[in-house]
Amino acid sequence: MNAITVLIISLIGIGVGYFLYARSIDRSIIRPDGSKTTPAKMFMDGVDFTPANRNVLFGYQFKSVAALGPIVGPIVAVRWGWLPALLWIILGTMFIGWVQDYGSIMVGVREEGQTFGALSFRLISRRARTILLLFIYAYLLLLMAAFGKIVGFDLMTNPAVPLGVLLVMALGMAAGHMTYKLKMDILVTTGIIVVLAFVGIWLGTVESVKNLFVAINGGATSPVLFGSVTWAQFLWSLVVLVLCYLGATLPIWRWAQPINYVAFWIVFLGILGGTIGLVLWHPAIPADFPALSSFDGKLGDLKALGPLWPLLFVTIACGAISGWHSLVSSSGTSRQLELETDALYVGGGAMFLEMFLAVLSLLCAAVGVGYDKYVALVGKGANAGVFANGLAAFLSKIGVPVSFGLPYGAVFLTLMALTIMYLCVRFMRVASAEFLGDAVPVIRNTAVGTIVALALSALLIWTGFWSYVWILFGAANQLMASLALLIISLWLKSKGKNYLWAFVPFIFMFITSIAALLTTAYQVIDANVKGGLPIDKVIGNWIAGGLAIFLSLAALVLAWDAIRALARPAEIPKPAQA
Amino acid sequence: MVKSSPPPKWYERLRRYGRALRDILYGMTTYEMVRDLQKERARLEHLFVLITMGDMLGIPILPPYYSLRLLPYVVPCIEGWRCCLLRERDLTDLTDFET
Repeated sequence: MNAITVLIISLIGIGVGYFLYARSIDRSIIRPDGSKTTPAKMFMDGVDFTPANRNVLFGYQFKSVAALGPIVGPIVAVRWGWLPALLWIILGTMFIGWVQDYGSIMVGVREEGQTFGALSFRLISRRARTILLLFIYAYLLLLMAAFGKIVGFDLMTNPAVPLGVLLVMALGMAAGHMTYKLKMDILVTTGIIVVLAFVGIWLGTVESVKNLFVAINGGATSPVLFGSVTWAQFLWSLVVLVLCYLGATLPIWRWAQPINYVAFWIVFLGILGGTIGLVLWHPAIPADFPALSSFDGKLGDLKALGPLWPLLFVTIACGAISGWHSLVSSSGTSRQLELETDALYVGGGAMFLEMFLAVLSLLCAAVGVGYDKYVALVGKGANAGVFANGLAAFLSKIGVPVSFGLPYGAVFLTLMALTIMYLCVRFMRVASAEFLGDAVPVIRNTAVGTIVALALSALLIWTGFWSYVWILFGAANQLMASLALLIISLWLKSKGKNYLWAFVPFIFMFITSIAALLTTAYQVIDANVKGGLPIDKVIGNWIAGGLAIFLSLAALVLAWDAIRALARPAEIPKPAQA
Repeated sequence: MVKSSPPPKWYERLRRYGRALRDILYGMTTYEMVRDLQKERARLEHLFVLITMGDMLGIPILPPYYSLRLLPYVVPCIEGWRCCLLRERDLTDLTDFET
């Protein structure tokens, strides 16, 4: 099949999903009313509640939800073959993904901008809010581990990458200084900084610079430091954690915000260039890349990942459905929506666009890299390298040399990961202060809270198997999505509306996520029992297994509460006042 | 004076798409920075109102003379301040409202 055919199928998926299914639900069940006052207008305070134009909000929503998930997920999932991954991306978005994003916005809008914490407390049970917060904390921890491993173990150990990343960060700080202190025009700042960032990435490819980083890495083959962790992996993952510390403790305008801004342009130009390159190239998916490899995800010489159901459905989370979107939609977007009628365009539209990004990423692996190279790269543990290679192949069709495209793709991914990681650490710090602050007052200290969050992340980064950590991260994410779908279903039921369009996806996602957690728990514990693993992996497996069992138990408690909440009668509408 | 003819429909439509694209790009880039600045300003403003007008919420802070002198300047933001200060928050608020 040609890559363009795949893109056309995705566009048809968007057409049918958005214009037929989503719009019919929007019009016949939710019935948004453009004349109703939204919380953004009703409670306008200039802080949380501020009405925004629908196009601006669309951009904000897309940027907030699309990170590394829709890129890495499909790259891993093609191990079951490209067809199941493609089908899940399209059908998952069509029937589940947009339902969650749009539903979360509408529930937030109709419930006066209440967040999911408050709604789960009210609609499900008192402890549902605590369970939600536990899911969030586990999700963030696993995200830190999965992204930290990608960046610290894979991307930054490539000697052509670190200088580009570090220079982009320094330039980001300079951008913040130019904008806020020197009051320079944002367009001029952007132009100067983005050009310099590209020069910085190119500098990283210069032979003498690469030799310097090879020397820092301890030679071409970095020595093993402990277990199976090499000196280079240890060093660069530590650097990543230090960057996260700075991002989480420095004022947001000084570090995270301007660096994210510069990183956005690097990423945006990469996606744009890659898409144009793909369309100009329009290759066929290589015949040797199987549409369906095997049910247990065994591709070539690569180790089997596990059963297609449930693991594929959590491996691709963002890009099909992701629980994080519901939090952004309910606590961010719903409080900025100017008109109720904008909800589908903003929530549904951004989700369908993210689906398109996931399809592009899938094509990066299947077409840009091809079967042999894919197996070789993943065999070496370079999952992220697959994307960098694919993007470089696409960019080469518009004249960008592969020698630049390859490190550019790696810097692109590193920045995407780091921009999320700072915010995760900030969030984890506040969450730990909230959970443990009364019992352990020292954790309220910013530095201590941040170091605790980073120490937990480091433990998983240095010990866990990346593929298991990724699956657990996806499962925790999908559990949050299940909870969001449950809240939407309960809210619809309480209003006497048809709730099956949200409830059936909830059942599917809930069962799938628990099955994925239990399957992974079995795999990691079984691997430990069989023996023969280095000590770091043994520790990582026990932690991963423990986390999987803990999340499954929390989800079962939630299921019990959900059954009781469903049994409650619907709200009786109050009679109109005479 | 010659009356200029209205621009053709296709031109209007193109301009509309161009504007939408510009807004989307703004939403992806500087909108968040603008919001952060607005939040920062609102936080400082709310703190100031709390210090000067805290007695509206039962917190006696300044002698009423000064509060009354400041009142005309503070009136526009009192409603937002009360909503923001009295609203219950939890951790899920932080996904939008970074610490």
